[in-house]
Amino acid sequence: MTAVGAALAEARTGLRLRRRGALLTAVGIALAAAMLAAAVVVGVGLGGGFDRAARAADLPDIIVRFDPESASVVGQRIRALPDIASYSTRLELTNTRIAAGGQRRGDAVAEVMSGSGRAGYAVVAGHSPARKGSQVLVELGFAQAWHLHLGSTLYVGGLGPQRVVGFAEAPDNVGYPLAKPRYYLSRPAIEARLGAEANPRVNLAEIWLRNPRYLNEVLVQARATSFGLHDIQFATRSGVRVLLDQAAGIVIDLLVALSVIALVTASVMLAASARAEVQRRLGAIGVRRAVGASRGHIALAQGLEAMLIAVPAAALGLVAGVLAIYGADDRLLTMLNEPPPGAALVLPMAAAFVASVAIPVLGAAWPAWRAAGGSPVALLRGGELETGGRRRAGGSGRRGGLAALGARLVAARRVRLAATVVTLGLSTGFVLLMLALASELSALETDPGALGKRYQVTATMPVSAVPRARRISGIAAIAPRYEVEGADSYYLGETIDVIAYPGNHTVFEDPPLVSGRHLRGNDQAEVGVGLADALGLSPGSTLAIELSTGNELRFRVSGLVSSLDHDGRVAYIPARPLLAADPSAPYQVAIVLTPGANYGAMTTALTRIGAQFTATSGATARGVPLVDTLRTILVAIAIVDGLVCLYALIQASTLTVQERRRTVAVLRACGAGPAAVRRLLLGATLALIVPAGVVGIVLERFVFGPALSHLAVNYATLALEPTPAEVLATVAGLAAAGALAVIWVARQAARESVVAGLAAR
Amino acid sequence: MISVTVVRAEGLTKTVGTGRAARRVLDDVSLSVEADEVVAILGRSGSGKSTLLHLLGGLDAPDAGKITLAGEKLTGRSARALARIRLRHVGFVFQQFQLIEELSGAENVLMPTRLPGAPAGGARRAARLIEELGLSEVADHLPHELSGGEQQRFAFARALVNGPKLVLADEPTGSLDAENGAAVLELLRGLTGRAVVIVTHEPDAAAIADRVVHLADGRLLAGGPSLAP
Repeated sequence: MTAVGAALAEARTGLRLRRRGALLTAVGIALAAAMLAAAVVVGVGLGGGFDRAARAADLPDIIVRFDPESASVVGQRIRALPDIASYSTRLELTNTRIAAGGQRRGDAVAEVMSGSGRAGYAVVAGHSPARKGSQVLVELGFAQAWHLHLGSTLYVGGLGPQRVVGFAEAPDNVGYPLAKPRYYLSRPAIEARLGAEANPRVNLAEIWLRNPRYLNEVLVQARATSFGLHDIQFATRSGVRVLLDQAAGIVIDLLVALSVIALVTASVMLAASARAEVQRRLGAIGVRRAVGASRGHIALAQGLEAMLIAVPAAALGLVAGVLAIYGADDRLLTMLNEPPPGAALVLPMAAAFVASVAIPVLGAAWPAWRAAGGSPVALLRGGELETGGRRRAGGSGRRGGLAALGARLVAARRVRLAATVVTLGLSTGFVLLMLALASELSALETDPGALGKRYQVTATMPVSAVPRARRISGIAAIAPRYEVEGADSYYLGETIDVIAYPGNHTVFEDPPLVSGRHLRGNDQAEVGVGLADALGLSPGSTLAIELSTGNELRFRVSGLVSSLDHDGRVAYIPARPLLAADPSAPYQVAIVLTPGANYGAMTTALTRIGAQFTATSGATARGVPLVDTLRTILVAIAIVDGLVCLYALIQASTLTVQERRRTVAVLRACGAGPAAVRRLLLGATLALIVPAGVVGIVLERFVFGPALSHLAVNYATLALEPTPAEVLATVAGLAAAGALAVIWVARQAARESVVAGLAAR
Repeated sequence: MISVTVVRAEGLTKTVGTGRAARRVLDDVSLSVEADEVVAILGRSGSGKSTLLHLLGGLDAPDAGKITLAGEKLTGRSARALARIRLRHVGFVFQQFQLIEELSGAENVLMPTRLPGAPAGGARRAARLIEELGLSEVADHLPHELSGGEQQRFAFARALVNGPKLVLADEPTGSLDAENGAAVLELLRGLTGRAVVIVTHEPDAAAIADRVVHLADGRLLAGGPSLAP
């Protein structure tokens, strides 16, 4: 028999002899693998989602929107641009009426495709509308929400019933319900039914470049030659990515970061589990060494045994993890108009599988290798167990009940205690982080203050009415808030959200100042960190903004602010230069209320002077379904994480009881009943969960929270700090897991014969 | 003087192992031990001595037969009930002492007094036992810091601390030198008001017994007076 064959035979025998232990290890590996799988699915799905979607949809390099114009004129302008590979045009109609299956809406977006050129969307099922007939292609997220399937009928205002022939995803915008429902029609088909237009008009053009590196040059040329086209707006691939980030960027980045933490937690747990298993078998290793087995043979047999457990357990865990998270992840991706990762998951999942197997195998083989290097006599005596637990005894008057004894038994194995505490601490910190994240999401959803906004109400009214409104009781401050979209004069693909107030903007919006100082004077601007990162700005730099009117504004950057709005790609400027360059800049009136203001009386007074008002919302108010989906994902991860905690506790308690069979048997011989054994185990469990709770809280407070805040959004810092109630809930969860572990292991211990325990080594 | 039977075993049968490996270690064994009586069970290794001891102490259950300890029936009782009976009525002394490594000598003695349901006054009794057994100086020492004799004396104190009616000693001198062994036997002999059952294969241990019984092939062959002069 070869060396490997012999080791394999020994590994199989070991498995047969230790079925219960092997099962426990398998459960741990499966749980860790499930966690890894969940992390991989979320990470790969969301991390590369936009690029996959852009590739699948053949997203154009430039998307141009403008007031409806003759298709022939638009085509002429585009063909005059340099480096154009191809282009297509369409008419985008907003607020169209649709109905299906008893549901109806009047705000749908119809994309009337010209019927030639590249489409700019991916058909994920069925096909595009034919050039004849009443056919419609529906955005996938919308189709799923409305339960439309291929062959369904969608009633379109003005066109009547249309047969759904396909589903599409186009990453130029987020999908339904984050955005309006969108569907695609064929212009030739419509013309075939209703008659051809003499001079068809379009308002959207998609342009593909031969070499995207020349994007800026093409944009400069396009702006220069776009005469005749009105209200022209350019969006680039990177600009679209920003748009998508505005909808879900913060939370997507947070989830990707969470996945990284999950990977670390799973790895620590797997390694600790494997090492504990070898520690438990030190005696057996000693016997094998004593009868002449080589060090390599012992390590190989141990590794192979771990592999026999790990391979099926990891496979099962990965499948379970994928099944647990895939549905929620898929829903989220559909909302973002991004395809599921599909084959892109194969390699990372294979890597996760290899990691799930390799870590326990190495974790088993390496300590076995190390242990086998020691003296067989020492191993036969129980290895480090004998030396690890010794200490000087204290005074005889010291109280030490069963719980204290349990704690001492656990503390005797310091390495395992540390590994288990670290694993539980990581898991606890992770759960706390998720709770803090959920709170932050809720705050972003509902609390404008989370974005540094101090105004609670916005109103539509003439600027001239502002002085009158200022006298209304309950209004502390009121001013027009101008907001326009600009582009960086040097990098036209970088859009900037320009916000201007006539006076001190910090009264109305005060995102935290990261560096520099607030603006003073009409030639200064504060910029968001996201914009500063994109353009390489710092206090003292020059910011050049090109407005849609074609005018350019130049400012000296006075300071950088941490803003979540528009991914931090914002610039606060004084109103005067903006109004000089664009007198018709759109605005709303921002209103800060006095503390305890009578909201009803204030709004009544506002209505009386002709103002229409809305309460200010947070960043994700339009993304309630998104937040719900994210919560589902967080809950799935939290459940797996909770199971990991439970497993770690059961494993640690079981190993303690197995190693201390004789001690437990002596206690039982002296008259300890099941309650006493539970008390012993309670002490052991408390020795694990109390430090783990502290470690978890400290980790979240000082490591996870701050790190994730920066990882999640490099343009702003989120305060991911759990509330006392969340800390209490987490500690209670940990205690519940501990109680379950105590009950479970006590039951197992009670089943063992006292006599067998007394005879144990 | 009226003799009080502390433990009574009738028709005990016990088989260990299964299938072809099954072996009947006790076959229709009956034994009664009274208060103030020391009974030594002698037999070769594997004769079933320890098994009988475990059955008498409620650590194991017979396949057939019945055991009554301090007026309570042991057979057919739940694990919880047996634990309660052991706590109040049985003290074990083991060959390997079986002290808990993490606890000092005194804490080992105190341990049974801290179990739920233990009789009150355990701490006082423990202190007295430690004092009487001359262990005060080493009470705070951990087991590995104690000599074999000291360990066995602590184990002895632990067995007695809850005032059991039955003391069961399994090869109590097996791990001790002659001097310490003699001291332990002296302690066992000096117990009053209790029934003592000693399992041994050493004639010296049997010498202190009031009655010696022999186990061979699972059967109790003979009962008789002590070999002691």
